[in-house]
Amino acid sequence: MKLGYIIIYVADVPATLAFYEAAFGARIRFVHDSQLYGELDTGSTVLAFAGNEAAEMADLAIRPNDPATPAAGWEVCFVTDDVAAAFDRALAQGCTAVTRPEAKPWGQTVSYVRDMNGCLVEIASPVAGAPGDG
Amino acid sequence: MPIPAGYRDTLLAPHTHRRVEATWTFTAPCDGTALVLPDGRCDIILRDHMDGACSRRNSHRDVPKPVVTPVLTGPATRAYAITYRAGDRWRGLRLRPGRGAFIWGDTLAHRRDQVLRGDAAGHALPALGDVLAAHDPLAALAEWAHSAPAPADPGTPNLGATLDRLHASGGRLAVADLAQHVGCTPRHLARVFQQRVGIGPKTYGQIVQFHRALRLIRRQGLGLGAASAEAGYADQSHMTRAFRRFGGFAPSRMPLDLALPTLVSA
Repeated sequence: MKLGYIIIYVADVPATLAFYEAAFGARIRFVHDSQLYGELDTGSTVLAFAGNEAAEMADLAIRPNDPATPAAGWEVCFVTDDVAAAFDRALAQGCTAVTRPEAKPWGQTVSYVRDMNGCLVEIASPVAGAPGDG
Repeated sequence: MPIPAGYRDTLLAPHTHRRVEATWTFTAPCDGTALVLPDGRCDIILRDHMDGACSRRNSHRDVPKPVVTPVLTGPATRAYAITYRAGDRWRGLRLRPGRGAFIWGDTLAHRRDQVLRGDAAGHALPALGDVLAAHDPLAALAEWAHSAPAPADPGTPNLGATLDRLHASGGRLAVADLAQHVGCTPRHLARVFQQRVGIGPKTYGQIVQFHRALRLIRRQGLGLGAASAEAGYADQSHMTRAFRRFGGFAPSRMPLDLALPTLVSA
């Protein structure tokens, strides 16, 4: 078994995909006709979005993400060599700043924003020797 | 749940029809009874049943003519049983929650669990006259629902978004949480629900929660303990109480005729 998908439930799937394209430079891989599901081209682990109502249709129940309340207890992390530029781009495209880019003692640069749905997104430089490196 | 790229289906987002949630038909294959569970919605139903005089046909060319009875329902919070004969047919239009005022106007808050039939329904909704006279009454009904003027909006926060959040959470978000999201007080939100949905947000959430628990048991095959925990009941006896209230039965004694009408998306 391997991690295949991370799926975030959102109010508006097409708008969120467009937002991720603009704010984080991710490419849209496909959007389902129903507009209730869409994927970003993020490599072997797909970051995807599903409509909040898709949860009910699948007999699930979720706490919808909400920018006005504390973020859910998990995050998505994008890795880049130029954290400052990616952070500025994210803010320019409508993300809200949580922590500005900061050099960590272990050599990594880390910043946090919240996306249009209030989800926590980390923008960080690669950890030396980590699988996401390079 | 990912959806494969090649998969095509008529998976319609509830948002695609703003006023009407579904049009549906149900034709009874044999005599029987069914338990209709409350869903907090208002329906406009055309019931076709064979005229009781059909056994006294005086000519072999006479075909019994179906009698069409219009039925209007207020927002439902109680289960009710119906009895039918083979061949009876229902054609219905289910309005989205928050759209009940199309039928009931500003009396919606007093229509909980009301059912009007025949002349009483026609009197409450004069547009039914034209609908019944139309060649295809169900299509005429859908046409009416899409073109009828919207009732006066009492200055609401985003009710659609609130209903979506409540449904996504399986009915588990607190009224205070819902109200905060749209920037109003719980009291104001409760008033808006009474005016626009016809029942309060807490009751509406409990109905959504009840339906999800039911699906977890019936469709997903969860045991009663697992279903009550996942559905968000404090314990199994709370779930039992909710099932008695909204369904009239205990979870361990689900009626076999719990068939809802076949839903056909509009």
